[in-house]
Amino acid sequence: MTTLAITGFLALSFALFAIAIFGILTRRNFILLLVSLEIGMNAAILNFVYFAALAPVNAGSTNGLPGQSIAVVLIGFAATEIAVGLAIVLALNRSKGSINVADSTTLRN
Amino acid sequence: MSPEELAFLALALIAIVTGTLALLVRELIHTIVWIGVFFVDLAALYFLLLAPFLGVLQLGVYAGAVTILLLFGIMVTRKRIFSREAATGITAVPVALAVVAFIFLLVALPEFPQGELTVRSFDPSLLSQNLFGPGGPWLLLLGLVMLSALIGAIYLVREGRE
Amino acid sequence: MTFADFALPFLPEILVLVGVLLVLLLDVFGVKRIEVFGSITVGATLLALLFVVADLGFLPFAALSTVPASRIDIPLAVVGTPLYSFTSLGFVFQAIFLSATLLVSLASMSRSSYEKGAGVFYALVGMATLGMLLVGIASDLIFLLLAIEVTAISTYLLVGYTRRDPRSLEAAMKFYVIGALSTVISFFGASLLFGAYGSTNLYYLRSVGGAVGYPTLILLGYGLLIAGLAFKVTLVPFHAWAVDVYDGAPSDVSAFLAGGTKKIGLFAFFLVFLGPVLFFTTTGTSNPFNAGVLNTGPIFQIVLGVLAVVTMTVGNVLALMQKEMKRMLAYSSISQVGYMMIGIVIATSPAIAGATLQIFSHTFMKTGAFLVVAAVASLGIGPLISDWKGLGQRRPWLSIAFALILLSLAGVPLTVGFVSKFVLFSSAVQAQGYFIWLAVAGLLNSAISVFYYGRVLKVMFFDAPDPEPEATVAGPSPPVSERLSMGGLGYARASTIALIAVVIVTFGIFPQVILGPIQSAAQHFLIAGP
Repeated sequence: MTTLAITGFLALSFALFAIAIFGILTRRNFILLLVSLEIGMNAAILNFVYFAALAPVNAGSTNGLPGQSIAVVLIGFAATEIAVGLAIVLALNRSKGSINVADSTTLRN
Repeated sequence: MSPEELAFLALALIAIVTGTLALLVRELIHTIVWIGVFFVDLAALYFLLLAPFLGVLQLGVYAGAVTILLLFGIMVTRKRIFSREAATGITAVPVALAVVAFIFLLVALPEFPQGELTVRSFDPSLLSQNLFGPGGPWLLLLGLVMLSALIGAIYLVREGRE
Repeated sequence: MTFADFALPFLPEILVLVGVLLVLLLDVFGVKRIEVFGSITVGATLLALLFVVADLGFLPFAALSTVPASRIDIPLAVVGTPLYSFTSLGFVFQAIFLSATLLVSLASMSRSSYEKGAGVFYALVGMATLGMLLVGIASDLIFLLLAIEVTAISTYLLVGYTRRDPRSLEAAMKFYVIGALSTVISFFGASLLFGAYGSTNLYYLRSVGGAVGYPTLILLGYGLLIAGLAFKVTLVPFHAWAVDVYDGAPSDVSAFLAGGTKKIGLFAFFLVFLGPVLFFTTTGTSNPFNAGVLNTGPIFQIVLGVLAVVTMTVGNVLALMQKEMKRMLAYSSISQVGYMMIGIVIATSPAIAGATLQIFSHTFMKTGAFLVVAAVASLGIGPLISDWKGLGQRRPWLSIAFALILLSLAGVPLTVGFVSKFVLFSSAVQAQGYFIWLAVAGLLNSAISVFYYGRVLKVMFFDAPDPEPEATVAGPSPPVSERLSMGGLGYARASTIALIAVVIVTFGIFPQVILGPIQSAAQHFLIAGP
């Protein structure tokens, strides 16, 4: 029987989410952008996993299992998203030779 | 303080530190190292939460596949792997934004559910029954996401004979 | 329950998926003609549209209905907790999405016959359509977000599918970054809601409303969901990407983005927020940790109302200042989202009907507008509005069709744009209270929009064309082949634009044909929908 403080988990996932948003807003290198996205998705997945353990406590839900199922699906989904991002960036790299978001200025006003 | 709580505190600290370092280090290749540690650390957290199946999945997909994928991304897109352009342009506004958001969340923390979380373990066979029973549509949708990613990504990356 | 009983309700989705697989198979086996891929996609979409319309109960087709009436619009108690459910408003939206796909895939058949990647283009359009159809039947938060992602991932790749063009790839990258950011935000919000409710079923979320012990979790969760979905529908603080993406993408894809895929975010708003906005007058319940009482209804109404007004105003003002046709249309598309949000804020059944009608008309108008831009570009005319000088004399039919579309966008009577705005704004007036201000803001913005639409009309019909315009145009001239007839437009594109013009006028004169079903669907949705 393991018992843990809930607040600690919430603080952790909020911290990870804040790091991810910070990374997406400031990093100009595409790889770092992808890394930030992964940190953010991991924060959401962590939420699902520990709320799955919490869910039986809530009124109206008998079972926290769906939380773990969602976590499984989201792990697969996040990996797919990374692959798509890399595909786009490889195609862009071939045509331009740079993967910095800041270098993409053709579309600016 | 119970051993589990100590373990949680240590793992949480490692997660935050490695996550931050991954975005702040100067060389891209070090980012991969730190993010790898981050993924393994989260897998350990899942084991702590008595979700071993998810822990193994996290190790396989993230610590294994995604890390290597990112590494290949770096290798293919630059001539020299050890290039130093990662940590540039830390502007004040986003940092302030992130800090303010986090402080707000910390202040709001007493409003969130309090108390002890009694961790329940789920039998992996129950999990698979849920995934292929009531949760089946989620899995189907994941398959559709992967199908469209496959179609487009192969086309984008393939060398055309034009 | 036999397999047929289980699978039949999903016939439209299955048809579209079969179409995608057929296109891919033919592409692999070396069929490279765009007409083949196009006809398969158009055929599958048309069949799917037929069955969806039959499910809505339109008389000539009602016999074809595949979903038993006992499964449509069933309230919570009967449904239990499946991840999908059938609502008539969902069918209306599926029909709207399918029409957008139909128009775009029909018009795209006019491109060069052996274009590279035509199979991939149609396969991705089909996958995006599949995602949109699944959004129409979602009744679970994660199901909804994943269905949105099916569409989103297809559209990132669609924007970049002309892979030799750095502009289009850059637009794809921008789109991807913003889309992935919104995905992270939405899923994080969904995870907080899962923590607060212990379930992600939208019926359950709506029935519980605010009567859960963690008001802060609920507020944060829904707040993050608003932010995440606002990226998808281009509400104003989150709109900046849209113009660049629509501008950089190939014009057919822009038509699909603005006319089709953007609308899924609006239906997601319907599914997620009609519950909270309407039903969040909470009383404290037994709560294991700390008692909390929260009345979130007014909070969300004010937030979404302010976002709606800001969106329509900023979109319109920026549209006024644009010099390029595509960018102007993109900004006007942003401002139109503001009108549609009015329906979600008011959340009465006439308002939902008005917003749905606005979405319906906007699908045809904006798809048509971007297709005209694509057609004009294929004639070798530049991207600036001033390049369109004297088009009325050189291409009278095309100009008249475009004029109809613009008049409908501005909301001139006898067009479908007028009907939808009328229903929407009058519902705001009916709702009384401060909602009247939403109608006032909408009317003022419609007045602003007349300026920039009128400017285009003036340029097209009353400005003399430049001498020898064809000779002065720089840049790549369109590939000329014997197929590009109909005054250089191509039969498929020309007939699509004509079809859109006919739809705009027909439903403008006889709105009751669609108004009735949409109103009853909206009523059922308020009573029984998630």
